[in-house]
Amino acid sequence: MADPRKVGETGNRPDLLTAVMFVGIGALGLWAGRDLTMGTASTMGPGYLPRIVCWLLVLVGLAVGGIGLFRAREDIAAPKLRPLSIILLSVVGFAFIAEYFGFVAASVWLLVIGSLADRESRWREVILLTAGLTAFGALVFIVGLGVQMPIWPFWE
Amino acid sequence: MEFLHLLALGFGEAMTPMNLGFCLLGALLGTLIGVLPGIGPTATIAVLLPITFYLPPLAGIIMLSGIYYGAQYGGSTTAILVNLPGEASSVVTAIDGYKMAQKGKAGSALAVAALGSFFAGTVSTFGIAVAGPTLSSFALSFGPAEYVSLMLFGLLAATVLARGSVLKAIGMILLGLVLGMVGIDAASGEERLTFSAIELFDGIDFVVIAIGVFGFTEIIENLENVEARGVLVSKLSRLWPTREDFQKAWPAVLRGTGIGTFLGILPGGGATLASFCAYSLEKKVAKNPREFGNGAVQGVAGPEAANNAGAQSSFIPLLTLGIPSNNMMAMMLSAFIIHGITPGPTVLQNQPEIFWGLVASMWVGNLMLVVINLPLIGVWVKLLTVPYRLLYPAILLFCCVGVYSINNRIFDVVLAAGFGLLGYLFRKAKCEPGPLLLGFVLGPLLETNVRRALVISHGSPSVFFERPISLVLLLATAAMFILMVLPSFRKTREVAFQEEEA
Repeated sequence: MADPRKVGETGNRPDLLTAVMFVGIGALGLWAGRDLTMGTASTMGPGYLPRIVCWLLVLVGLAVGGIGLFRAREDIAAPKLRPLSIILLSVVGFAFIAEYFGFVAASVWLLVIGSLADRESRWREVILLTAGLTAFGALVFIVGLGVQMPIWPFWE
Repeated sequence: MEFLHLLALGFGEAMTPMNLGFCLLGALLGTLIGVLPGIGPTATIAVLLPITFYLPPLAGIIMLSGIYYGAQYGGSTTAILVNLPGEASSVVTAIDGYKMAQKGKAGSALAVAALGSFFAGTVSTFGIAVAGPTLSSFALSFGPAEYVSLMLFGLLAATVLARGSVLKAIGMILLGLVLGMVGIDAASGEERLTFSAIELFDGIDFVVIAIGVFGFTEIIENLENVEARGVLVSKLSRLWPTREDFQKAWPAVLRGTGIGTFLGILPGGGATLASFCAYSLEKKVAKNPREFGNGAVQGVAGPEAANNAGAQSSFIPLLTLGIPSNNMMAMMLSAFIIHGITPGPTVLQNQPEIFWGLVASMWVGNLMLVVINLPLIGVWVKLLTVPYRLLYPAILLFCCVGVYSINNRIFDVVLAAGFGLLGYLFRKAKCEPGPLLLGFVLGPLLETNVRRALVISHGSPSVFFERPISLVLLLATAAMFILMVLPSFRKTREVAFQEEEA
């Protein structure tokens, strides 16, 4: 991998990303809490501390960004979209399928789709693993620990 | 005599078949995840938190703490045998441990690590037993002002001692505080920062954030960094240190235990910091520093003792003051809260069986770990050959079921996935997620106490300076802040952490 530090240029990208996120989340918090009453120090309203903390977050974000602008250039490690998107998709899908079609269907979805995130996955292994983990999960979580989730679809 | 009486009570609790069983389970799981690279104790405990809800309080807490200190044992095994530290806290063990293994002294290194850890575990368990009652009786005199100052001190100290940029860590704490404020405000009953989502009125669940940021993010991160997989295991020789090794090792164990116990108590400290400091100390006091890096037994004994001692003594601030000092302890705090127990001085008075049972179980667990690790070493080594592609689907399933089971709703799982994405972005931005968790669990506590203190003082902030304990803590916080701004200190800190990375 090439050295992420390039001589002569400035702008630390991870710092700038941090700044964007801190300032963004702080501003979002300030906006979401815009209608909350402040109150006074002795009788604090619900908005007193959130506002202070959000402003501090914005300030810290600005400071990180300001310093980052002048630090030596460093790039953000290139993201790989495959694992990121597949893992998030499989997780969200799990929740919806579990709600409407029960544990077995959700678990099969999660494990089969989730396995696509790693290019090294082999089909035979995935099938065996899915079968084993699904059976284990149904027994331990739902029968054993009593997690409130139907096992099969349309089970009432 | 009361001390012995209480200790007996604790052992009585820890020795019930059920608690022994969960202690063993925790120790086994801890060793397992310690051996397996790519799964840390933080992620494991996040995943198992919702499950402990179904267990009796003490059993659940015993199991979770077993995972934490068990991981310290397991991590050293792989560090020594294959130069692959299973945990961050055993990174330094790999330096000399692996060299020892290459010279055919793997058995000796493993034995020194396990016995040193056991000794350190025993001493620090005893330390908790002694410090617990003393500190908590002291803490009973704390009012809201003292708690506010203590939390500010703890949060800031955690950023100084943790690795990475201090400013970013402070930002992450603030972010954690904001997240902790989401939901209905306890004092006024008004909902805030919820974007009118009914699901958020009760606040964000700790497990959702922990699994998002540590579970999902870690899986994604591990899948991104495909390393050269496939390992070479050193051959095992006799499992007992030679007399010469033993004589060199025991002073290092003593020093490591001392450092570990002390650093574990400090906010932000814990196992990882302790092992790094112990290694540098051993290097400094050694008669022949050139041995280090070439298989010095002290380089294994010191850090291994220190990380175990640190792992255990970091329970002290949590159990006595109710203040978690690192993200592991933030997890433990929420494990207590799941069962309606708020750790702190009152637990020791009202539910002594919880405190003493946990302390006793730590010693029992350490004893189990020596047995689990030394004779059964071959089993653990075999596990190393399990590829990540077979592991992560199982972790993924545990995470999903865990999050779903908190409230049985889709919303939490989707929210956790969102935190997974946020955690991923923060990794890219080189922000450590630990302080966020700390801010999140301390947020509500901090807000309640700030409000109480200011109500009592009619809004005057002088209350924080007039009470002596509070003043001392604030001065310490200020001193730390000034130190951090000083360039010379910043440089030392940077050098210290660079040594870690090397």
